[in-house]
Amino acid sequence: MLSCGGFSYEKIIVENLKYKYPDTDQLALNDVSFEVEEGEVIGIVGQNSAGKSSLCLALTGLIPHFFNGAYGGKVLIDGIEVKTSTITDLSQKAGLVFDNPFTQMTASKYTVYDEIAFGLENIGVSREEMIERVDWSLKMMGIENIKDKNPFDLSGGQMQRVAIASVIAMRPEILVLDEPTSQLDPQASEEVFRVIQQLSQEGITIVIAEHKMEKLASFTDRILLLYEGKQIDFDTPQKVFSRDDLHDYGVVPPIFTTYCKAMGMKNKKTNTYPVTLAEVSSLLGGENNEWNKS
Amino acid sequence: MTLYVKQDSLIHEIDPITKVIYAFVAALLPYILPSHTVALIVLVISIMLLVVGKVFRKIIPLIGLSLFLIVSLVIIQGIFRPDNVTPLFHFGPIIFYKEGLSYGLLLMLRVINLLCAFGVLILTTKPDDLIQSFIQKGMSPRIGYVIGSVLQLIPQMSATIATIKDAQRSRGLETEGSLLVRIKAFLPLIGPVIMNSLISTRERSIALEVRGFNAKQKKTFLHEVHTYKYAKVIQAVLILIFIFAILWRIFL
Repeated sequence: MLSCGGFSYEKIIVENLKYKYPDTDQLALNDVSFEVEEGEVIGIVGQNSAGKSSLCLALTGLIPHFFNGAYGGKVLIDGIEVKTSTITDLSQKAGLVFDNPFTQMTASKYTVYDEIAFGLENIGVSREEMIERVDWSLKMMGIENIKDKNPFDLSGGQMQRVAIASVIAMRPEILVLDEPTSQLDPQASEEVFRVIQQLSQEGITIVIAEHKMEKLASFTDRILLLYEGKQIDFDTPQKVFSRDDLHDYGVVPPIFTTYCKAMGMKNKKTNTYPVTLAEVSSLLGGENNEWNKS
Repeated sequence: MTLYVKQDSLIHEIDPITKVIYAFVAALLPYILPSHTVALIVLVISIMLLVVGKVFRKIIPLIGLSLFLIVSLVIIQGIFRPDNVTPLFHFGPIIFYKEGLSYGLLLMLRVINLLCAFGVLILTTKPDDLIQSFIQKGMSPRIGYVIGSVLQLIPQMSATIATIKDAQRSRGLETEGSLLVRIKAFLPLIGPVIMNSLISTRERSIALEVRGFNAKQKKTFLHEVHTYKYAKVIQAVLILIFIFAILWRIFL
């Protein structure tokens, strides 16, 4: 597959995407359109059954190749149209990690190292490159110390990092995460968020559906707000979380935003409320008046 | 859930396919040639291989498990075999006959021999090496995956069942007591278990899909299954012995 040269371009293009699961009446995704640039971090928010998971599945080709149903519109991943491609080809463009660490383990491998190599064996990567990629994944996830353990003997957080390592070993340029920390304890969640941010620094484009708004606000570039399958907003965290109608869509803004709203503390320049602690402190007269978004 | 014992021995170094052929030839020989001597010779060879493979101690509990079957075979044959004519000894009114005991002994040797022959294979071969060898010989990777994952998924599933059982009991479901109580408890237990495995199966197949499980490319392998220098020679000898035994049985 040819890459499209050196210029920055849209990694993900979604045009009027509509999708309905088989045997249902309601559209799971209803006219969703957005574009994501290379290296961006995108958060997907919305209440349960707003279409977050369906969108994650659509970006990785499981919709429409694994789940049948009515499909309309267009999804382009790195220039490849999802509908006419295959899950295997797309898996090397956009990797998917989801919430349950247990079911993401193949159960056919006895060590973490072999588990991570599973996908590479399937796509026919040579042994030398396989070893190189697995070592890289282990290092990125900080799990070199558990490489010889059985995947099922690990804690949830470790297992989830193994799942991410297995997916990034396929060297996708996009990583799609569907509530990756919803089944983890706070400390394990923290570890997972840390490695996601590290992957972002490596230049991987990240799309993450999450309920932990404080976390999303601190490291995403833009937020996609979904409600009953419809796209409500796609903007910076400050703009999305400052919306007055957020509660109508079942989304609770970060605690800092709620607090500042109650206190009427608004950034005069941008006319938005702060979304992170750093922004609150700078608004209260911290050292730099510019919001230092990391 | 695997019987494999990690050891450093000559038997561990032999490639899986050769050991598979050995297990089948050794298990079948005493049936093809129904004599005590043949059964005994093959059994002694298998035991020697187990000793060389440093796993002999692991086979004893397996034989112990089947001891009940083995002993009852000998007793029943000794007392009731139709062609029993020569009484050997008796406990009160129960008479043991020579023919029956001899046949029972042969059956016993066959069972123990079968266990030892497959013991050589299973105790000294990593299950994933075995599956990988079969895939490289042309078995479908999907079947290979099913065999490989069952070994790990069964313990996972029994853990799930235990959790669901505890959850239902904490809601007041009676799972212990008379047969009727147990039957009544079956439905509220099996329902969630089935639902749960359906959901995890779907999730796991998604996880497999996004890792190229359906790739059309030729599969590669992280580990080289070690090839054994004399594999071809041993395999040829084993197959020759097997053919020779069949010919012996037919013509002599």
